[in-house]
Amino acid sequence: MKIFISLETGILRSVKSWKGIVIVWLCSLLLVSLVAIPMKGALKSGLGNSMITEKLANGINVEVFADLGTAFRSLFSYFSTGLFMVLFVGFLINSFLSGGLFDSLKGISGTFSPVKFFIASAKNFWSFVIISLIISLAVILLAILIVVIPVSIVSHAESSSEGAALKTGIILTSFFLLILVLLLLVADYTRAWQVSHDKNECFKALGFGFSQTFRTFFSSYPLMLILLVVQLLYGWLVLIVLPGIKPVTEGGIVLLFILSQFLFFIKILLKVWRYGSVTKMMELHFERLNRGV
Amino acid sequence: MKKFVIIIIAGMLYMIPGRSQIINKEPLSIRQTGYKIDAKLDPLTKTVTGTMEAFWVNKSADIVPDIQLHLYMNAFRNKKTTMYKESAGLLNSKDQNSGWIDVKSFTDRNGSDFTRVMNFISPDDGNPFDQTVLKALLPKPALPGDTVFINMVFETRLPSITRRTGYSDDFYFVAQWFPKFGVYESAGMRYATKGAWNCHQFHANSEFFSNHSVYNVKITVPKEYVVGTGGMLIAESDSDAEGKNKTLTYRAEDIVDFAWTAWPGYAVFTDKWQHIKITLLLPKDRIEQVERQFTAVKHAMEYYAKYVGPYPWPYLTIVDPPAKGARAGGMEYTTLFTSSSSYLVPAFIHFPEMVTIHEFGHAYFMGILASNEFEEPWLDEGVNSFWEERIVDHYYGENSGLINHPFLKIADKSLGRLSYVHSEGRQDVTNNEYSWNYPHRTYGMMSYDKTATWLYTLMGIIGEETTNEVFREYYKKWAFKHPSGKDFVNVVNEVVTRIHGDKFGPDMNWFFNQTLYGNGLCDYKVTNIYNKKLETLKENLSDSDSINKNLLSMDRQYKSVVELERAGEVMLPVEVLVHFKNGDELLESWDGKSRFKDFSYTGNREIEWVKIDPEFKIRMDVNYINNSMTLNPDRVPLRRLTNKLISFMQFFINFISL
Ligand SMILES: [Zn+2]
Repeated sequence: MKIFISLETGILRSVKSWKGIVIVWLCSLLLVSLVAIPMKGALKSGLGNSMITEKLANGINVEVFADLGTAFRSLFSYFSTGLFMVLFVGFLINSFLSGGLFDSLKGISGTFSPVKFFIASAKNFWSFVIISLIISLAVILLAILIVVIPVSIVSHAESSSEGAALKTGIILTSFFLLILVLLLLVADYTRAWQVSHDKNECFKALGFGFSQTFRTFFSSYPLMLILLVVQLLYGWLVLIVLPGIKPVTEGGIVLLFILSQFLFFIKILLKVWRYGSVTKMMELHFERLNRGV
Repeated sequence: MKKFVIIIIAGMLYMIPGRSQIINKEPLSIRQTGYKIDAKLDPLTKTVTGTMEAFWVNKSADIVPDIQLHLYMNAFRNKKTTMYKESAGLLNSKDQNSGWIDVKSFTDRNGSDFTRVMNFISPDDGNPFDQTVLKALLPKPALPGDTVFINMVFETRLPSITRRTGYSDDFYFVAQWFPKFGVYESAGMRYATKGAWNCHQFHANSEFFSNHSVYNVKITVPKEYVVGTGGMLIAESDSDAEGKNKTLTYRAEDIVDFAWTAWPGYAVFTDKWQHIKITLLLPKDRIEQVERQFTAVKHAMEYYAKYVGPYPWPYLTIVDPPAKGARAGGMEYTTLFTSSSSYLVPAFIHFPEMVTIHEFGHAYFMGILASNEFEEPWLDEGVNSFWEERIVDHYYGENSGLINHPFLKIADKSLGRLSYVHSEGRQDVTNNEYSWNYPHRTYGMMSYDKTATWLYTLMGIIGEETTNEVFREYYKKWAFKHPSGKDFVNVVNEVVTRIHGDKFGPDMNWFFNQTLYGNGLCDYKVTNIYNKKLETLKENLSDSDSINKNLLSMDRQYKSVVELERAGEVMLPVEVLVHFKNGDELLESWDGKSRFKDFSYTGNREIEWVKIDPEFKIRMDVNYINNSMTLNPDRVPLRRLTNKLISFMQFFINFISL
């Protein structure tokens, strides 16, 4: 029952915070455009007035890109450094904005106010950076320990069959994903706790995140699992729909842009739903404790 | 019962070395060499010991004083061999156990000992540490028509698996393992001006040149091993009382090399194409790849039978080595070849199919048409790559032969072309080079990819049907012989003039001189288009007259010009498609010889765009982008790409952030 209350409240509060989602969406669009638009310019000048673009009608064509010669090499290095930049800046921006988001999702928060949003973002920034950094490192470390190392040991063993490495990989990856659910719970509880406290105490928050995750394991874990499955299914749907759309007119391009941005907006909404649901779950737990007292 | 009788008869025939037919009714090649080998594999010492009776017939008009044999396995004997030097940095010598072949005894049929009159020679580089060619003086020179019989006992220690051959754990791929005759070339054969042995050392980048031979091979291995060979199994028996080992007897006819594999882990599958029995050996956990392998090889068989000539043996063995023996993958021994698949390769990646189609193709280019791969690798690898690319793209998608995924499609021919046109060493050397003379790792790019690319270009010029006819004729004329590059060129010249008269000139030598024997680049480009409004009398009429205005627009005159340039050295005839704004199109031809070429038109039409080689027939062209120009560029594909890039990055960041 607690799960459904949390899910319901989570979605209501995320919709209420739609302006926050718009802010996140706009920032991401601006950020990636900083890389994508100059790349488009470079590609455009590389292709000149050639009609070879006809060969791009069905998507990426290796011969066209390779024939760009040196232009392609600089395009590629631009892409890789650009992607790295987007990842780094994106990490910071996300840490910043999720402070505001978590704050706006609290039960006691009234109507959404952009000013309050940015104040909360700024106030929680360093805490959120450290929390995100620690949890992200934990995820990477666990992936290496649980999946990468054992699979490489199995695949290098001469006596084992080829399938063995893959089978081990599948089993260990599933196991890792189950642990990942826990880590995401910790991340969310930690951040939900932090925004409800005035002082920036990220390590105390992390401590709370861990203990809360295990204290409420039997309600929290299924909650997170449901939320992640929905996100995964949605991601899969997008992956099927978007690449298949190949407009050939200017109008089609505009429609594609609107559709892809709408789909991405929903993707952010789903994540905020997760934040909201976990926040509500925490509040329910506190209410029960208070009633108990 | 019937099977038993056949085995008995076959067994009897086995006693007579090589003179009678078992597999095909009639010999496909001249019986010039034959081998009868009794070999035993010792898994403990990684050694194959063998006794061999072999013959060589002097088919020339020369008196030949000696014989020369390949002892390939000595290439792995030490780190100073020619093969090692040539693979500097490419062979991982740390985990490399050496291999060698020792000649324990060597006599002629009458028992006279060759070991005292034999020595190692290094005809290619004089390397005193290379022992891959053995020369032995005959007790008396071989007169024309004489047959030289030799008896040998040899011991081959296999290296841990490396170039083409060796062992890995309990997996064995036994190739280049027995002493094999070189080819005696008499004057007039290929490029020979006087009779001599053509017996090259073992190089990093070369494989075959041998006479078509008859093989009777007995192989003894521990009972649990599954064996595959380039021969046909004609008998199987226990070889010791305890039943620990088994002996398998094989027969092969008209092939240029005999290789075999043994591994307890193989699963065996069979299939048929027409009357040809196909046997596939692969690791047990790769069963989901079986259908893909069979389908691919049957595609190749169908295509070759239709456009080149028949595969004349009733059997074929495909070996898909396990991961630990992957370095044996992708090799060709005519009636046996190794593929290269792996566990769960997704269906949209056709790499395993590509390897299978390529290696099967060598049954034609090298196996049947036994060119000299040492001296003219393009005639073997290049011609075969051309056919591989055609077949892979034909059956798996003209634009998606190699990779066919909604996100990414790559044609086999695209990779071939890109490897050549964007290689830094594309002009370092021509295609007309011995395999070990290619500098700076250009061997693969030149022998495989440049050749395939100019063969596609040739096909673009003379047409697909004429190209097929060229290869049918090449097969008809040269099957089971030793064609050279000039023989191939002669066939092209003959077929092209037969079909097209002098449309392309008296011969096609102008093409080969630039492509096969030249190192120039081919690059045609559009440098400019313009439409210049011409001053006409009517323009001086009064503007206020509306009738005049109408007339004016109808009769507006332009000088419309496209300016083209030959930016490379290679001159090839090209088509030029000119498109006008009113929808008219003109297909012009340009012989491609002059440095610059303009097409200009006067009239009321304005040019909108122009394409040189609109159908991409000249695949040698190193840059397709400058082949066309438009005054009205379509930016939609570019915007779409940008759009998708933006979405991709947005979702990606969202996915990895907490
Ligand atoms: Zn090959």
